Amino acid sequence: MKYLDILETRLGRKATREEIEAFTVMWSEHCGYSHTKGYIRQLPKVGTGGNAGVVPLDDYHFLAFKVESHNHPSAIEPFNGAATGVGGIIRDVLAMGARPTAILDSLHMDKVIDGIIEGISDYGNSIGVPTVGGELRISDFYKHNPLVNVMAVGVGKNEHLIPSKATKPGQVIVIFGGATGRDGIHGASFASEDLTGEKATKLSIQVGDPFAEKLLIEAFLEMVEKGLVEGAQDLGAGGVLSATSELVARSGLGAIVHLEKVPLREPDMLPIEILISESQERMAVVTSPEKAEEVLKIAKKHLLFGAVVAEVTNTGRYVVKYHDQIIIDVPAKLLEDSPEEPIHDYTPSPLKKFRWIRFKDVDAHNVFERYDYMVGTDTILPPGFGPAVMRVKNSIGYSLTIHSRADIGTQDPYWGAYITVLEAIRKTLSVGANPVAITDGINYADPDIEPLGLAGQMKGLKDACEQFSVPVASGNASLYNTYKRKGIPPTLVVGMVGKVENLNIPKPSKGPVYAVGYPDFSIAQERKLQEEIVRLVKNGHFVLSMHDYSRITTFKTALAKLGLNLRIQIPRTEPVHQLIIVFGEPKTNLPVRKIGFCY
Amino acid sequence: MQKYTFVIDIQYKSNVRDPRGETIKRVLNEEYSIPVSSLRLGKSIHLEVEAESEEQARQLVEKACSELLVNPVTETYEVRKL
Amino acid sequence: MTLPKAQVVVYPGSNCDRDALWACKYVGFDAEFIDIYSDIDADLLVLPGGFSYGDYLRVGAVAAREPIAQKIKEFVSRGGLVIGICNGFQILVEMGLLDGALLQNSNGKFICKIVDSEIVDNSTPFTSYYLKGERIRLPIAHGFGRYVKTNDVNVALRYVEDVNGSDQLIAGITNTNKNVFGLMPHPERAMEKILGSDDGLRVFLSAFNYIKNNGGVRG
Repeated sequence: MKYLDILETRLGRKATREEIEAFTVMWSEHCGYSHTKGYIRQLPKVGTGGNAGVVPLDDYHFLAFKVESHNHPSAIEPFNGAATGVGGIIRDVLAMGARPTAILDSLHMDKVIDGIIEGISDYGNSIGVPTVGGELRISDFYKHNPLVNVMAVGVGKNEHLIPSKATKPGQVIVIFGGATGRDGIHGASFASEDLTGEKATKLSIQVGDPFAEKLLIEAFLEMVEKGLVEGAQDLGAGGVLSATSELVARSGLGAIVHLEKVPLREPDMLPIEILISESQERMAVVTSPEKAEEVLKIAKKHLLFGAVVAEVTNTGRYVVKYHDQIIIDVPAKLLEDSPEEPIHDYTPSPLKKFRWIRFKDVDAHNVFERYDYMVGTDTILPPGFGPAVMRVKNSIGYSLTIHSRADIGTQDPYWGAYITVLEAIRKTLSVGANPVAITDGINYADPDIEPLGLAGQMKGLKDACEQFSVPVASGNASLYNTYKRKGIPPTLVVGMVGKVENLNIPKPSKGPVYAVGYPDFSIAQERKLQEEIVRLVKNGHFVLSMHDYSRITTFKTALAKLGLNLRIQIPRTEPVHQLIIVFGEPKTNLPVRKIGFCY
Repeated sequence: MQKYTFVIDIQYKSNVRDPRGETIKRVLNEEYSIPVSSLRLGKSIHLEVEAESEEQARQLVEKACSELLVNPVTETYEVRKL
Repeated sequence: MTLPKAQVVVYPGSNCDRDALWACKYVGFDAEFIDIYSDIDADLLVLPGGFSYGDYLRVGAVAAREPIAQKIKEFVSRGGLVIGICNGFQILVEMGLLDGALLQNSNGKFICKIVDSEIVDNSTPFTSYYLKGERIRLPIAHGFGRYVKTNDVNVALRYVEDVNGSDQLIAGITNTNKNVFGLMPHPERAMEKILGSDDGLRVFLSAFNYIKNNGGVRG
């Protein structure tokens, strides 16, 4: 076990076998964030943290959103890895008391891996959550380490916002959903391993059950509506262990967990297996003892298993029992308090001239037509035009975009991250939305071998968010994306949400098409560019903001569906530039050049 | 050259979960009162190949299975001659 | 005069139920959800799209055999109006209330897009507000929409171009009495121009006004 010394020092004695299993999971990079905690602490934040980031949407609703990665599982078994990735992030958003309303995916592969597309499609479509956008980055960088980052978004009523913690002793914790088996045991620690390591062969494939997930969504929302949920956490990496310990540790409380109560689907499971199993489609609900029966009734009505599995105590100790046998008894906070790796200061290099590393131009329609992007009848701007725009019926709209620039990240991790944030802001503005917050997906190689790249990426993210006033609401980190010690380029995936007050978003129309702005980049010009985008959209122009205009196939197909054709000379730009494409003759002080026609 | 027909019976490996099978089993148990203790949903592929001998035909079928028809990570299979 | 009433049947796994309810209310129905154990008390019954029982086994197979199945059959024999959308169409076919079969799309993939369809029969309670031969744009979103014809059937809606390999480009059919309508496209997703098309609105409007003018079967 990696931090065994530290554990035994903190315990003041030798660790038991069960404790080693439990801390291997809780102190894994995936659950413990050892290498990234320090950096994340320095980011400008919004919201109170919890399972997903939360921002206010209008006077009555909040938006919950988060991005999560499922990279290692998708490398081994693409279909199930991607599917369970969707399942997990959906539950994170659901746990805040929000109905999931959209999925976006950021996929990085060396070729279109059908299993990954199928996995997301199958799961997302079955649960009835539209996949409304995403990005497809095809490059040999990801030959052995595909990246599957999925962002989920949900809308909830303010009175339904659920804390991600227990709040007082005497509460009970109900676990409901699918039954528990041996799936994914050591999935959390597996996700933190180089894929050629021994662990990779000891497969822990989690198989998703989207039908159960759909039932879980409806059951949980019914519990929330009825005021039965006082706290909630989804069961993901680390299963019962991480969910129940985190729920109490966050409030300085303790718990007594009764493993024999957990509904099982496999016979003869060892207590420690029940504790750390990563069986999918399960949720932990904190409630008062007198409400527990109603919670269980609702679960049963929705064909799900459920049981009261733990009591919340004021001892601060996390005690796990199997009948009368004590399996684990440690301070709850110790489980959350994973050792922190040192962080590094980073001084950004001055902006230099980058070289083009182009991703393959694919027609993403072949991919996103396999996703139901319309279910829910709230999708206002469908995939293909840039960011997605959704609405809350009879109320406000919101924009969603997911973006990354690994081609710059590989040349300079700081600027790669910085530019990603700026470009996400421009995209958000281009649909008339006001940027509200971001969720960051950190995808990195080996921070032990190359710590400065991670430091650079995090500093770029921090600086851009601070300088352009877009805080971080949530995020995820996936490290050790390596194969035979060779790693992926620093790939920061930024998911951004914005508020849309006016749903009459300008659409592409017939007429002249212009390139506005600069073919290169200078920070001093950025604010002006952003203001211009806002003005142009207000004046009714359709604005397109892309980082590589030569990859225009997807956009052309989207136009064709509207009966429009584009005949333009692709503007030449540097890899990092400040150029936008505008439909209709713009009135602007920025450099303008007509580049063709839309007819 | 002769034609040989085989049936390939593909199932999930025993350590891989089969939620579809589990769900159908529950429906049969609870709604149809049929006491099914195990139900696994798999695939059945009927394949006819041309070969010089049955042995060669089997080799071709094995090749088809290992290279395309079966996911070696999650599935196991049985080949039967019809 | 009581308001025409619609009930949307929510099967475990249905996911277009809220959209269907919204569409019914939009045109004026008194509308509510019911589950598989409920009794039917409506003039229009909607079987919505989704993945009932996850589509695990055969699409619509388990849902078609739930307790409410018998009540739906009775409702149909009394002349009640039933519309089955997408998974709802699959369920009606599995129930034997509509002819034929719905199998996997010929390209083996799920397809989501807005397609052109043609009204073939505008004499049904669900299509009276369309012109015969009218072309409309409706969204499809399905993996198992290939209609296989087994007997002569009354075609109400046809795709203009092949989208999933359906026999004779069949997109929607009715039973002989024309009170049961099954279609793979989603009219409830085409209710407002801002969503891309409002051509689906008239399906619900036709049903609403049919009930208003002819009286529904409630009571």
